[in-house]
Amino acid sequence: MKFSSFGKAGLVSLASLFFLAGCRGDQSTTNSSKDQVLTRMEGDVIGSMDSATVTDAISGQALVDTMDGLYRYNGSELQPAIATKIANPSNGGKIYTYTLRKNAKWSNGDDVTAKDFVFAWQRAVDPATKSQYAYLFAGIKNATAIMNGKMKPTKLAVKAINAHTLQVELDHAIPYFATMLTNPVFFPQNEKIVKKYGSEYGTTAKKLVYNGPFKLTDWTGTNNSWTEVKNKFYWNNQEVRLNKIKVQVIKEPSTALNLFESNGLDDAVLSGEAARQMKNDPSFTPRPQSSVFYLELNEKKIPAFKNKNIRLALSKAINRKEYVEQVLGNSSIPARNVTPENLAKMPDDTDFSEAAAKDTKYATNFSKKEAKQLWQQGLKEVGISNLNVEFMTDDSENAKKSAEYFQSQLESILPGLKIKITSLPFKTRLTRSQAGDFDLVMSAWGADFPDPITYLDLFTSNNSQNNGGWSNTKYDQLIQASKTTHATNPQARFNDLLQAQEILTDDQGVIPIYQRAEAHLINAKVKGLAYSPSNQYNFVHTYIAK
Amino acid sequence: MGKYILKRVGYMVLTMFIIATATFFLMKLMPGSPYANQAKMTTEQINIMNHQYGLDKPAYQQYWIYLVGLLHGDFGTSFQFNNQPVSYLIASRIGPSMQIGVQAIILGTLLGILLGAIAAIRKNTWVDTVATFFAIIGRSIPNFVFAVLLQFFLAFKLRIFPIALWEGFSSSILPTIALAMAPLATTARFMRTEMVDVLNSDYIELARAKGNTPWQTVAKHALRNSLIPVVTIIGPMAVDLMVGSMVVENIFSIPGIGDQFVKSITTNDYPTIMGLTLLYSFMLVVVILIVDILYGLIDPRIRLSGSEGSN
Repeated sequence: MKFSSFGKAGLVSLASLFFLAGCRGDQSTTNSSKDQVLTRMEGDVIGSMDSATVTDAISGQALVDTMDGLYRYNGSELQPAIATKIANPSNGGKIYTYTLRKNAKWSNGDDVTAKDFVFAWQRAVDPATKSQYAYLFAGIKNATAIMNGKMKPTKLAVKAINAHTLQVELDHAIPYFATMLTNPVFFPQNEKIVKKYGSEYGTTAKKLVYNGPFKLTDWTGTNNSWTEVKNKFYWNNQEVRLNKIKVQVIKEPSTALNLFESNGLDDAVLSGEAARQMKNDPSFTPRPQSSVFYLELNEKKIPAFKNKNIRLALSKAINRKEYVEQVLGNSSIPARNVTPENLAKMPDDTDFSEAAAKDTKYATNFSKKEAKQLWQQGLKEVGISNLNVEFMTDDSENAKKSAEYFQSQLESILPGLKIKITSLPFKTRLTRSQAGDFDLVMSAWGADFPDPITYLDLFTSNNSQNNGGWSNTKYDQLIQASKTTHATNPQARFNDLLQAQEILTDDQGVIPIYQRAEAHLINAKVKGLAYSPSNQYNFVHTYIAK
Repeated sequence: MGKYILKRVGYMVLTMFIIATATFFLMKLMPGSPYANQAKMTTEQINIMNHQYGLDKPAYQQYWIYLVGLLHGDFGTSFQFNNQPVSYLIASRIGPSMQIGVQAIILGTLLGILLGAIAAIRKNTWVDTVATFFAIIGRSIPNFVFAVLLQFFLAFKLRIFPIALWEGFSSSILPTIALAMAPLATTARFMRTEMVDVLNSDYIELARAKGNTPWQTVAKHALRNSLIPVVTIIGPMAVDLMVGSMVVENIFSIPGIGDQFVKSITTNDYPTIMGLTLLYSFMLVVVILIVDILYGLIDPRIRLSGSEGSN
């Protein structure tokens, strides 16, 4: 054994490799404006490109880039896509008839027809497909029975009247049905291709066809980078200006920042310290998300939480502005309601959440004095002098820091309150939340579609997501009316929802804390970026300025 | 020797079977479902999904189905990567992790042996102090701190290496250095201690008395005997590095397996947990066997088994 000579040889060869590599050290990801290439990042990999089974926002964005549904969001405006116009329902809001454009094609040259929608929707509700978003079809006639295995998928009330006319029949009027159609689960699928690849459909870039503005390439199904190239078969391809979108998975905010500053990224997403550091940079762009974090109070387990003054005291003792700035630091927004801002508009074009906050803002306004008063009053009404509760939270760094912040703030302002923090892995926390095995828990809800009902539905008395058990008869009636008697009357419906939101906030049935925002750094040369209420980009009109 | 190895392989298979069994049943005790959208699905919807995936069957039946699949080379499909076979997921992401792991272990141990040997030979001089100082730094500072510093200075400021991403050999250099720090420091420490011992022994005195130069003495007589403890620790260290470091891989955006290892557990991705656990334990038992064989090669006095004598 000649270890010494072997070692020497190894060292020399390693050293020379390093030297050679050092000479090569160029940044291969630099962008060039003349190529119309956009370089951006995602925080994780694509999980699936099968629009029926997709569950995560990253795959959702890739699908919105490469596929086209009936409608498409451009910013907050809902625009016709494969459908030629936004359809008005008939038969009391129950029947929708869509005329599809004749020039829509798949990237293999096939026409996009009404049959592609029928096939995709039947497939999504089929239990064998194992779609985790199938429940979005619930209002379509027969969908629930099919999902429960009681009826054949072909019984779904959606039919191709002819190649370019699609008709959908609903159980009852769904006023927000149009907004749901932008969710990838409602996208069409090419039956021939789905059947060809079977369970491998959508598992790599090659095993599917595209009908959207871009085609996916370089995606092996598990890798950390992919490219979207302009799709010449897209019906509106003359509007598309970008030739390529390069996407890279970056998980470390400081890496994202370093890459952005060396022109390796046109759009970087930061968090924590990196976000705080860049807050005053001209390229800093906060993107509020349709995702709200709130405290659920378990009224079934802690009787004191049934007392309105106790709930209000807890809410008012939280300085949301300070919390968002000091603990989160990612330009998240202090929440006034459980329905986030920039999600939905009232018929008069004002923001729903803002309109609701006009009369109820006090319930979420920080005031030590009011909090103390309400607390003492509440304790007296309940007949206790102190309260010990367990605060359950996720075990992420952010969640732990947040819990400690709330613990110290609430305990210092509300005498007699003792909070014990329990941080658990997400899935464990979730399972306990759903089983009602908690006192106080920080929960979050992201919108499935941009309508206040996606949030307000959660807190009706019988909703399975109402883990805390808050209940209000008037609230239940208003939500019910918005879905039935007022379903086809937008003004009356929004008045119901607005009143319901006011009741929920006034009563602090749940305590809204913050609306999540993503801190982006965006290259000033990138123009025409549209961001939808479903938190997705539309790159159809995006370009790189010279 | 042949008989010995055969016996060892038998034990390896048994060990892995026990690990697989224990992991499977422990994993089933974890609360929650493997569904990403668990938060929004109702209990009935989750039950329907469980039925579709066969997760409503009793754990022992699921275990049996898994074992039968395993015997047919089927590791199941991942939940995080919808419909992606676990074998493909691992095969496609283990490469980069292995590459930087192997590079780090080679770089770390070679430099560590060198540093440790020099420190021992120049015991109690400034050379020893400097070497020990570096060993302590390498041991006590976590690799991700090195990673961030290397990235900032060598890649971002000086632009010698790529900041991140996985585009050729140059992308692997900074993560390799960051990961090599710990094995370097550990090896150097063990090497120094053992070498000091060896250098004090009688046969070294004899070698010196015969007129060998100090360097000759070390290279010919001391080095090999000092390697025994180093070889012992290299094995597990190498496996650790080869299955990926989540933090360092994240910092350099390396498409490795480190993150999936952790994420499969937090997301209850049962087939992936099993696949990665089996891979990890397989690598570990193989490495332990290799280490045991290496002992015999380095020091013929160590016998591999009672019946066979030295070889």
